[in-house]
Amino acid sequence: MSEGAVSEVGEAAVSEAPAKVVDAPKAAWVIRNADYLIGGGIALAYVIWLLATARGLGFSRDEGFYFSASGEYERWFDLLFKDPKHAFVRSKIDSIWAANHEHPSLMKSLFALSHHFFWGKWKVFQDQSTAFRFPGMLSMGLALFVTYLFGTRAYSRRAGIVAALALGLMPNVFYHAHLACFDVPIMAMWITCIFTYWTAEKNGGLKWALLAGVVYGLTLETKHNAWMLPGVFLPHAVLLYGGFSAKAEGTKRLPVPASLIAMATIGPAVFLALWPWLWHDTMPRIQEYVNFHVHHEYYNIEFLGVTYFGPPSPKSYMPVMIAATVPTVTLVLFAVGAFDRLRAILARFACWAKENLKVALSWPKETPAADPWQTDILLFLSLAVPLAVFLLPRTPIFGGTKHWITAYPALAIFAGRGFDMVATRIEALLESKTALDRTKRDVVVAFVGAITFVAPFAVTRHSHPFGLSAYVPLFGGTAGGADLGLNRQFWGFTTESLDPWFLKNTKPGDAVYIMDTAWPSWQRMVDEKRVPPWLRGVGTPAEAEISIVHHEQHINEVDYNIWTEYGSAAPEYVLVHDGVPIISVYRRPASLARGRGRR
Amino acid sequence: MLHVKQTSSDIVPESDWSAARDLVKTDLRPTDLVVFSPFWTDPLGRQAFGDLASLKREGRSDEQRFARAFEVSRRGAHDAVFSTWKKVDEKHAGALTVTTWENPSYKKVIDDLLDLAHPDRLTVTRVDGESETPCPFVHGASAGGSTAVPQGLLTPADKFVCQGGHVGVAVLHGLDHHPHLCLYATPMAGATLRMKFSNVAFGPSLVGHAGIQWLVERTPSPEKVEMAFFAEGHRLGTAAHQVGAGWNRFEAATPELDGKHADLVAEVSPSRQRQFCFEATTRGAGP
Repeated sequence: MSEGAVSEVGEAAVSEAPAKVVDAPKAAWVIRNADYLIGGGIALAYVIWLLATARGLGFSRDEGFYFSASGEYERWFDLLFKDPKHAFVRSKIDSIWAANHEHPSLMKSLFALSHHFFWGKWKVFQDQSTAFRFPGMLSMGLALFVTYLFGTRAYSRRAGIVAALALGLMPNVFYHAHLACFDVPIMAMWITCIFTYWTAEKNGGLKWALLAGVVYGLTLETKHNAWMLPGVFLPHAVLLYGGFSAKAEGTKRLPVPASLIAMATIGPAVFLALWPWLWHDTMPRIQEYVNFHVHHEYYNIEFLGVTYFGPPSPKSYMPVMIAATVPTVTLVLFAVGAFDRLRAILARFACWAKENLKVALSWPKETPAADPWQTDILLFLSLAVPLAVFLLPRTPIFGGTKHWITAYPALAIFAGRGFDMVATRIEALLESKTALDRTKRDVVVAFVGAITFVAPFAVTRHSHPFGLSAYVPLFGGTAGGADLGLNRQFWGFTTESLDPWFLKNTKPGDAVYIMDTAWPSWQRMVDEKRVPPWLRGVGTPAEAEISIVHHEQHINEVDYNIWTEYGSAAPEYVLVHDGVPIISVYRRPASLARGRGRR
Repeated sequence: MLHVKQTSSDIVPESDWSAARDLVKTDLRPTDLVVFSPFWTDPLGRQAFGDLASLKREGRSDEQRFARAFEVSRRGAHDAVFSTWKKVDEKHAGALTVTTWENPSYKKVIDDLLDLAHPDRLTVTRVDGESETPCPFVHGASAGGSTAVPQGLLTPADKFVCQGGHVGVAVLHGLDHHPHLCLYATPMAGATLRMKFSNVAFGPSLVGHAGIQWLVERTPSPEKVEMAFFAEGHRLGTAAHQVGAGWNRFEAATPELDGKHADLVAEVSPSRQRQFCFEATTRGAGP
């Protein structure tokens, strides 16, 4: 097994292929492109899984807002296709792109274009929402593809495959991967940007450096998490160019990495070029964008029975939530892989110190394998930077796990490395203790891999469409999360899961108080018949025959207000996941006419 | 294996809830409390128990007012409040356990101001200096609620309406995140809110609780809402609720009124804190 050395493993895999297969041109092509095919295959299978399950998942608040904004942007693209001259008139740009300008436009533009082509023009999708969501799903495919490639090229193909599986089989990630939102896209762009930078440094040359600049621009245009990427690249570049790496050459002809120069120049240019809102009044609008996120409002989020709504945020939030939501087997593998890599980094540092600082150290006994591109450190930075922010007291925690989702590809790659080590040990044991031949030993290892991920697959599949309510068995599952006072949901997306009850228990014209469901989300659910189209959504319990409440601790006030309105604490129906209340549904007593007081 | 186990159903079947309800129903008295533990199972319990999980029980001011409690619990959960109560029975209904607790410090409720909050027994006035303006009772529409949070305390449909305030029965979201049924009595800027409850049956004490909606109380401040209680021309006591104190208790000894009927006047002094809610009961010395 390679010790962090990069492409040797992938190339070794190619050279091990049977000679007669290599002779055949098609087979040779397959072997040459095996990693792209495997990574692409994993990504494709996952996107198909997302598409197959999308209809069952309701629309979150933010999705509703992004549907609306994307609808606006689609108007601009229509204009661009039909009358390009007018599309660039300031009044058109400003009036259309003002929608939801607190977030960059790349993903919303892709949602708009997907809707335009895949729903409007080519009729690929029946649901408009699926067309809007499709770019987000593809970005999950990209995240899996790049995670696979990174894991494969950094460690081994086996590590890459396991890394991709580990990333895809997390209930929270699976939930977010369905959405027309930016969290999974920024996760994809985060790891893609780091991978591109790493490849640029490894391969050298202008092409990859320029590509790194473009990818960083796209990352900036995806979500503001991109502002943190210099925290990954700069320390890494200092290590790479500061003399710690004996073999590194890369783009070293310049005093700083060419890829970083490209990111600092091409990146902002791409960011500006793709966001029409910034084409006029550029600096004030950038300032407004930055201020929105720097001074973002704190929303309510429950953690260990306490609803937080402002600083200081609990430092334990991030580690506890990772432990509670990432499948435990993945975390165990991560611990094995990360420990191994940390040990390798320390061993290399000790060797460097012995040589350069003339320090007498008894460890390590053997010189560790070189890591000329500091891949291990780069991956640790990729993991640590998004997580470290959540140890700061002023960082809002309202987004739950999605706000550090960018750390998960690196976490998964270390898990892949961990599995690779375990599998290698199993192989060695099988070879020394049994008479199994190579093929049978491979089958045993493949079986171990399969059973390792049966459980994360089962729990991820089972969590749908309540991914945010799912907690790992170590924490007692969904009920354990409720016992511990962990957040059960946010964004009101679970409303759609009431559809079977609505179908049986409501009649045309019934007014439903939709509570935490955003209006555009509700309207889309009605349009797509995800809830009975005969229902009339209303904004207060006073107007409604039926009122729903999404269970979150801070939303108890709505529950109690409904009691005040209906004079009763008894819901007619409670939607549950694994026995835990998700939504309560109340019906106005027949004796209480709408808008009139109790008699 | 744990992951796979998690995918197996952990749902308590409806039949267990029905069986638990039947167990409780046969023995339930008006002075008994029904509680579902852990608290997150409360919606399931309310659904199954219907009217047995009444607003008075669910939105209770305190537990002392109940002689016994039926605690319907899952996975061995128990409310800490019963740690000092005497366990007198335990029955099982499938995955649920019904524990009967006896209250060692039960004090009977004689009159509950919430029951008197209707025009036959309550008059509300706005007092500006010497001037007293009646606040009529209306069967109106509630005010509040939206598709965003926080929303604050819902103004009830049935209420006494004053200029700049109102009095009506509502359910407060307390700082403890629990519901508390109470009189939403809006303090008014520059005027006193006066509530006169007629012909109240007194015992040796007047016990009350007050709070402000969680949304406000979660950010403590020195601001206070002050209340005073009067009967037979005498001040029985005062209570000052400071923002951030949460749902808290006040008590006034009324030995001179014990066994008598008299009008009880409650006054809420001017304050900027609008989402104030209180309840009060006259109580006996024991069961």
